Amino acid sequence: MNENIDPDWAWSTFSPSAERPWDLRTAAHLFRRAGFGATHDELLAAVAKSPELVVDELLNAPEPESFLNSMKSLADAAIATGDVKQLSAWWAYRMLSTPSQLLEKTTLFWHGHFATSAEKVTDPKLMRTQNELLRSFAFGDFSKLLLEISRDPAMLVYLDSATNRKAHPNENYAREIMELFCLGEGHYSELDIRELARCFTGWEIRRGEFRFNKYQHDTNKKTIFGQTGDFGGEDGVRLVLEHESAPEFIAAKLVRYFVMDEPTPDADLVAPLAKELRESGMVIRPVLRRILTSQLFYSQHAIGRKVRSPVELAIGLLRCLQGSTNSFELAETLNNLGQGLLYPPSVKGWDGGRTWVNSSTLLGRSNLVRALITNEKTRFGKTSLREYLKQQKQTKARAIIEHLNSLLFAVPVPEAARDRIESLMTSMGEDGLTEGLHALCTLPEFQLS
Amino acid sequence: MNRITRRSMIRTSAAASVVLSFGGLAPSPIEAAASKSPTERILVVVELAGGNDGLNTIIPFGNDIYRKLRPKLAVPASDVLSINDELGFHASLRGFADLLEAGKLSIIQGVGYPDPNRSHFESMDIWHTCQRKDQVRNDGWLGRFLDEQSGDAGNDPPALHLGTDKQPFALMSRQVRVPSIRSLDQFRLHGAEDASFRKAVQELSDARRGEGNDLLNFVQSSTSSAIMASERLGSSGKAYTSSIAYPKNGLGEQLQTVARLISSGLRTSVYYVQLQGFDTHSQQPGAHQGLLRQLGDSVKAFLDDIESMKESDRVSVLAFSEFGRRVEENASEGTDHGTAGPMFVAGASVKPGLIGQLPSLNDLQDGDLKHHTDFRQVYAAAIHNWFKCDADNILKGRFEPVDVFKV
Repeated sequence: MNENIDPDWAWSTFSPSAERPWDLRTAAHLFRRAGFGATHDELLAAVAKSPELVVDELLNAPEPESFLNSMKSLADAAIATGDVKQLSAWWAYRMLSTPSQLLEKTTLFWHGHFATSAEKVTDPKLMRTQNELLRSFAFGDFSKLLLEISRDPAMLVYLDSATNRKAHPNENYAREIMELFCLGEGHYSELDIRELARCFTGWEIRRGEFRFNKYQHDTNKKTIFGQTGDFGGEDGVRLVLEHESAPEFIAAKLVRYFVMDEPTPDADLVAPLAKELRESGMVIRPVLRRILTSQLFYSQHAIGRKVRSPVELAIGLLRCLQGSTNSFELAETLNNLGQGLLYPPSVKGWDGGRTWVNSSTLLGRSNLVRALITNEKTRFGKTSLREYLKQQKQTKARAIIEHLNSLLFAVPVPEAARDRIESLMTSMGEDGLTEGLHALCTLPEFQLS
Repeated sequence: MNRITRRSMIRTSAAASVVLSFGGLAPSPIEAAASKSPTERILVVVELAGGNDGLNTIIPFGNDIYRKLRPKLAVPASDVLSINDELGFHASLRGFADLLEAGKLSIIQGVGYPDPNRSHFESMDIWHTCQRKDQVRNDGWLGRFLDEQSGDAGNDPPALHLGTDKQPFALMSRQVRVPSIRSLDQFRLHGAEDASFRKAVQELSDARRGEGNDLLNFVQSSTSSAIMASERLGSSGKAYTSSIAYPKNGLGEQLQTVARLISSGLRTSVYYVQLQGFDTHSQQPGAHQGLLRQLGDSVKAFLDDIESMKESDRVSVLAFSEFGRRVEENASEGTDHGTAGPMFVAGASVKPGLIGQLPSLNDLQDGDLKHHTDFRQVYAAAIHNWFKCDADNILKGRFEPVDVFKV
């Protein structure tokens, strides 16, 4: 499907050109993808540096002690309510306020990858533990993350491993670790699943923590991918990781998430990244750096070629305008739009791309924008939207439209649409700003990133 | 990426026809109702997502192998609603038992497909598209049906998906964008009370974008059809009243919305609803019981409601799941992914009763049931016998329809 993209060109380092200069628009693309979005001032600061330096800063942005402490106490408070929805709101708030956007965006990637829903897990404590696990390994060693997630209590509950006993193994986790977490459908047999399930027998939870129950573990020989031995769960994870398809599967998923929805990246395109991933010992950071500094990432194949997820749409709009709002309502709305944080629809996570968009979600996304800008709890730079834009020296309808066009849109707003919205705003007087921003964010162009 | 691929051509033509099917002056619901004819048939598809345990749905209560392989999960004979000497409904399927009694339920046993895939996602895609992974999958079986019908629904959406899940692949079409609706109340654009705002937003979404970005054209046609459909459906079913008590749950509410839309005279021919949660790897009995009750009671209430509107002759319901479950239970009081299972077709036009045998429990393949009826034979009945449409292209092959319908 990518036959017209040369893989060597794709992953070589981006060098700005007359056609694609390192300007505000290109920097805005980087921040939308490697985070949620940046304010006008942040973009100006980024343009003054090189793209590679900005990517390195994104990959290494520290979260200060004070921020971490405040997040910790907010999470503790959310957990004390016993309601996972509060933790979902906590995460939305974290996305909105973290100085380390790429870390958060990658944590969300892993949440969609190792999708675990609180719908079944129900315990906010377990969901938080998993969330912190995903964050701590977000840029790290995938092998370790895979082993940790295989023993993670929320995952054990979600995929029923917690009751996997030797007499009658439960195949749920064994199937999904191969199909969805590591290899992809078609790279293993039903027999491999049954044998792998036996490796995981006896992996249990006791008082909210992982425990190995040797009395429930099947100690007999198993044969997986043609290798035979008295394998335990750790061996099972290792065998899956050693499978030749693993690096390609993970790299392709990173490309879909960070670079483009369509067409699905094929094996040739992904091969250089897969090789790098295997050679780096399955460490994510260098591969992510390569993706975000690549020619492909800054090309017409990538810019405007993703459908914004609900999180990208809402958190992005707020972050670009220094916005803050009621996190609980925000998290509820994200859920209604199909991206409930901690509530992925199935173990496959979110399919993304075109599946974000249907009549209900398009109306819902449009309504979300209006709800955000008219909600009395929403502030922009601690003030009203009109006042905030005034501080940015934007007061006239046309100037505001142009400002938002460069800040919020991966695909520029057509000239005719700018004219139409300008006349709408001017005809409405005081209400014009709400109507104008709402109309802008209902444009098909706004749905793309 | 500017070169035109087969994919992009298809999508471009899809965008064009959306404008056609939703464009122009929309007639009011009343006009649409006046032009209704009894031959305009409706199919309501109910997807049971996760893999329904067929053996604990239509239960072989007297079978020794069933009891032996399911020491904890076998439902005792005393608890089933018997259909004959060997088979009976799970007790919570009272709704289905009543429908069978009333001559409105057909149970097709042993439905599956060759070389079964036990992945939820892959198997669901096979059911939705009638194509295997190595074949081109651009559209779904219902989408292809809609393409053959195009134009028949006038300005109404030819199909509707109700629910919070992503849109089913089965409804993916080359020519029409099928709206998905969470609830009629939420299906409106805020701020559109203001005429100048509404007009601006409509014009801005209707304007066609240039070539070169398939994704943008897809979003543009979807936005345009969403705004059009919200205007069309916003006023639908306001006059609907019903004396039927629907169960207060997701499926009951969705089916009641379908009844409401049918009562408003909408010319939509396919409705699609989903019930999640059938992936019962552990602690199956409680969960499965609740789901079956929800299924049986909701479909029963829906068909009662349809009868009270005197629309029974043109409405049928089809229920399926992506696979059945392993015959032998696992250690978690649950069951793992299996293969063949029963399908259900309900309504006043079905030939009631059991069709086909329960696959033999003596003759399993890798511990799973062997199917004897291909799911596409049931689809063929829906397309060919119910909708009177040629099914070969839609199903990508010739399949002998199962003898489900009286009509």
